[in-house]
Amino acid sequence: MEFLAPHDEPIIVFRRTFNAPAQLVFAAWTEPRHLRHWRGPRGFELVACEVDLRVGGGYRFVHRAPDDSRHVFHGRYLEIERPSRLVSTFVYEAAPETEVLDEVTFDEDGGTTAVTGRSAFPTLQARDLYLSGGAERGLAESHHRLDELLGTLVS
Amino acid sequence: MTFAALADPTRRAIMERLRTGEATLAELAEPFDMSVQAVALHLKVLERSGLITRGRVAQTRPARIASAPLDNAVKWLLRYREFWEGSFERLDGYLEDLQQDAGAS
Repeated sequence: MEFLAPHDEPIIVFRRTFNAPAQLVFAAWTEPRHLRHWRGPRGFELVACEVDLRVGGGYRFVHRAPDDSRHVFHGRYLEIERPSRLVSTFVYEAAPETEVLDEVTFDEDGGTTAVTGRSAFPTLQARDLYLSGGAERGLAESHHRLDELLGTLVS
Repeated sequence: MTFAALADPTRRAIMERLRTGEATLAELAEPFDMSVQAVALHLKVLERSGLITRGRVAQTRPARIASAPLDNAVKWLLRYREFWEGSFERLDGYLEDLQQDAGAS
């Protein structure tokens, strides 16, 4: 997987190719019956998943962490072009003031599909808080972990 | 709220100062080229976001870092990549299963 965080634009971009046609990847990305099988980091379970896949409709995901904490995400769908493009907002309810704009494109080529995700943050500072706690010091307790993260994100 | 509170460089500088220990408004305002009142407003934002707490000593009300919200914010950050890598590994296998099922039926 590729990760990119340009220094002059408040975005994070990732790119990943899947060995499946775009119709299927798009369905897996947007339908609760599929989402339950894959969405979330290792050890996390998607315990609630509501999707209203219409422009203006919303989604809400609740992940249960291994320590039994709940992490809730929600957003609204702004643009839907099945099976090639999806634009939505993204809010982590623990940080509700930071609304991220997510754009995901699905490009099929010979049966494989390249998925590109672009997350746009309100400001460079908000984005950099994710990526460069090290550069801003002040979050020193997490420096080492953040430095490691930054290293992997930009490599 | 945590992210918005920390989006401002003055507030991040205040957080950095408080990492070394609690401090009064006057102490926090000293290094800044701005009024004590302006620094007090920044403190209020940090306090409302739960990032700091203020002591009860009436005259000075020393500020100190409250660790829990920061931990949560940082946890999310660290999980951004972990989130997608874990997801995509599973999605790989799941897409394969789906296509095998479709081929078999």
